[in-house]
Amino acid sequence: MIASIRTASQGRWAITISSVVLLTFFLISILAPWIAPHDPVHVNLAVKLAPPSWEYPLGTDHFGRCTLSRLLYGARVSLGFAFLIFAASLGIGLLIGTLAGYIGGWIDLLLMRFCDGVMAFPNLVLVLGIVGLLGPGLWQVVVALMMVQWVYYARMIRGMVVSMKEQNFITAARMSGSSTGKIIRRHLIPNVLPPIIVMGTLEMGWAIMDISALSFLGLGIQPPTPEWGAMIHEGKAFIRSQPELMIYPGLFILFVVISFNILGESLSERLGVKRRY
Amino acid sequence: MSLLEVKDVTHTYGSARSFLPIRRKETQVLSNVSLTVEQGMCMGLIGTSGAGKSTLGKVILGLEKPKKGQVLFQGEDLYTMTAAARRKMRRDLQVVFQDSYSSVNPRLTAEQIIGEPLDNYEKLSVSEQKRTVAQLLEMVGLHAEDMKKRPGQFSGGQLQRISIARSIALKPKMIVLDESVSSLDMVTQTNILHLLQELKNEYSLSYLFITHDIRAAYFISDAMIVMENGRIVETCYDKNDIFTSEQPKVKELVASILPEHPKDRTITGR
Repeated sequence: MIASIRTASQGRWAITISSVVLLTFFLISILAPWIAPHDPVHVNLAVKLAPPSWEYPLGTDHFGRCTLSRLLYGARVSLGFAFLIFAASLGIGLLIGTLAGYIGGWIDLLLMRFCDGVMAFPNLVLVLGIVGLLGPGLWQVVVALMMVQWVYYARMIRGMVVSMKEQNFITAARMSGSSTGKIIRRHLIPNVLPPIIVMGTLEMGWAIMDISALSFLGLGIQPPTPEWGAMIHEGKAFIRSQPELMIYPGLFILFVVISFNILGESLSERLGVKRRY
Repeated sequence: MSLLEVKDVTHTYGSARSFLPIRRKETQVLSNVSLTVEQGMCMGLIGTSGAGKSTLGKVILGLEKPKKGQVLFQGEDLYTMTAAARRKMRRDLQVVFQDSYSSVNPRLTAEQIIGEPLDNYEKLSVSEQKRTVAQLLEMVGLHAEDMKKRPGQFSGGQLQRISIARSIALKPKMIVLDESVSSLDMVTQTNILHLLQELKNEYSLSYLFITHDIRAAYFISDAMIVMENGRIVETCYDKNDIFTSEQPKVKELVASILPEHPKDRTITGR
């Protein structure tokens, strides 16, 4: 009894702290143009690799660009595109998942075997393959991640729809003369969405990791756009003399991803959401 | 013309669908079932678990197309009628399920739940709809103030009343009551049965009362049908005939009724 109370309050702390961290990063990404001390892409070779100073709080990189400004602007790319990927995958997943689950039959069979096929590959390998086909670039990465992630949403939503379809209130809605569209809008989606959004919180962390990883490999965000993964990539040449060029963006990624994971895990524990595909 | 006619219905369930070309094993759940329900009459459908009662209920509601046979509602075949005719038929044929908790969407208010059939068929103004829902709530023994509550705030018996209110919202001709009182306690059961009786008299409703409880069926029905293994084994147009039936299954069911007082109980019939 006491143990369960303690975990509940711990869960509340975890949710509060991770929400505050994420909210801070969210504000940073919105307010970047006002709080950043410099233009993140302004090259000034006179001050390249400068140590921290009042002018450049976290020093400069090998082009003399302000590291702090680049980090702050980088939050825009990471959070913005992670959210875009989340929203788009959720949208596609919701459409395909409810379709497959509600209609069933061979449509379900076909769609789900396709999902199984996509899930059989390790995510990043598949994304690399798609980016390889489309060519490097931010939008290509976003499209590739979307193409891989919707499968997980579709699969989970389909499972929930299938079990919900058998419930009496769906039959009762049919007997009340509600159309299929209305049943999906009014009865299925509102009941499916909350746990899916919790799951999406976890997936957002992964999306940020993937964007950074691809940018680190030089496939994602192209210079000079500031992005954390790309900054680590640029900083690695100076790992002996100036390791902080890699450490700062690394820490930012760490904080954001950990916060997303903690928030997602504690929310799903609280709401009793299980991930099943 | 009878309100409902079921003619020679046979239905089978296959094993789960597989994409491999494996021969599916089929189980016969209904074989050559025929019955007739007249306007204003309550037909009790009794049988033990697995007798095919609920499947027959689904077939009658137009939810499960039988392999063979016909279901005529007001003289029209449920499974060959046009979409428009089907939509019209839905108004007159309603259902109340056993599990009242799963019969209502947990995210909606009582007003939205009862209002759903009204939304679909009656184009009422907001205030008219509110008034109708309030009337329906009063009619099933709840209060107009309960309108804003969600399913979590009602008890099982109250939710069953809400399901009943939803089913009578369109003033149907027939309601299929699929074990509608079976999961409620005795006091609530009696109250709901009295409510159903009153509604039946008021609107000259017809019921198909599916149950395994012969006493509840005896209370509310005019005629009774007993099913076993997907077949109708006894049809009693007068419900009192059930006690004189020579059919072994019927005798077994009748013998399982507990006497009013515990001291009258014997261990015979075991």
